Amino acid sequence: MTDTQWQTFEVFHQGKRGEPHIHVGAVHATDPEMALLLARDQFARRLDCVNLWVVPSDQIFATNYEDAEALFEPATDKSYREASGFPLRDAIKKAENWKEE
Amino acid sequence: MMDTNALIALLTSFADDELILGHRNSEWTGHAPIIEEDIAFSNIAQDEMGHALLWYTVLNEQLGQPLPDRMAFFRSADQFRNAQFVELPKGDWAITIVRQYLFDAYEQVRNAELIHNDFQPMVEVVSKIKREEVYHLMHSKGWLLRLGDATIESHVRMQTALDQLWPHALGLFEPIQEDTEYSNKLRDLRQTWLDTVSPILQQATLIIPPNVEPVFGGRNRQHTLHLIDLLKDMQKVARMESPETVW
Repeated sequence: MTDTQWQTFEVFHQGKRGEPHIHVGAVHATDPEMALLLARDQFARRLDCVNLWVVPSDQIFATNYEDAEALFEPATDKSYREASGFPLRDAIKKAENWKEE
Repeated sequence: MMDTNALIALLTSFADDELILGHRNSEWTGHAPIIEEDIAFSNIAQDEMGHALLWYTVLNEQLGQPLPDRMAFFRSADQFRNAQFVELPKGDWAITIVRQYLFDAYEQVRNAELIHNDFQPMVEVVSKIKREEVYHLMHSKGWLLRLGDATIESHVRMQTALDQLWPHALGLFEPIQEDTEYSNKLRDLRQTWLDTVSPILQQATLIIPPNVEPVFGGRNRQHTLHLIDLLKDMQKVARMESPETVW
């Protein structure tokens, strides 16, 4: 059986000028103009909105979930690269105590 | 300033158009061609109900007519002034889209005229509703242009819908007996409306049926059996309840 579904468009919503467009979902539509009209009703009625983007879903390129570990999980301890990796709080405490003395 | 009886008749016709078309459109809730359109079209139906409420509120607060709920749920068909155009059954999606487009274009033309009226409450309602009407027109025009020449089936359905609806659409411009001031402008309004819809229908590859007589009646409270059926359905719950019921 042939697929009679229309293509989907990913919808990106902007709440205020200057803010980033945030992905909020997808709509079925025949073309981008129709997608914008339908996106307005699905996603912009109850949220503040100044702008919408739609992008054909097949134009989104994504990583594979199977690769998530290889791509995103560190193999060795790299906590020193993160702010939380530094025992800064202890240093601050020490400095404060020193001032009091 | 218009005569009070003329104003009452005129505003009732605006309110009733919105209420009846809103109800017809709400019949698509759960049945529209795709889920996204189901939500969009239900939203438009609600908008129209909201516009009806604005008109009924002016009728009540400024012109001494009954409360909006009484106007909507406790009048009989021979007290309604909507054009017969909006009471016709929703038909297929082509009927619905052709009617919605012709009506949205009519409202745009009508609102552009009403905004200059010297009855201030009328001007205030028009300023409130015209933003939503811009979106309604974008929506119905979008569907009309796509379905007009998408496939042979969609084209035939759209042309059939236009042939069937056109005489009733012309009935939107029926003069109201109680009124002369606004009625005198109807010929110009109809021409402006024709100039608006003709190129769009042409772009949708649809042909306006020639030499058609308008179907009048609705504006002067004459209706088809379809309105009686619609009211039976729409007013059923309100008439079942005792007046003390609080929702």
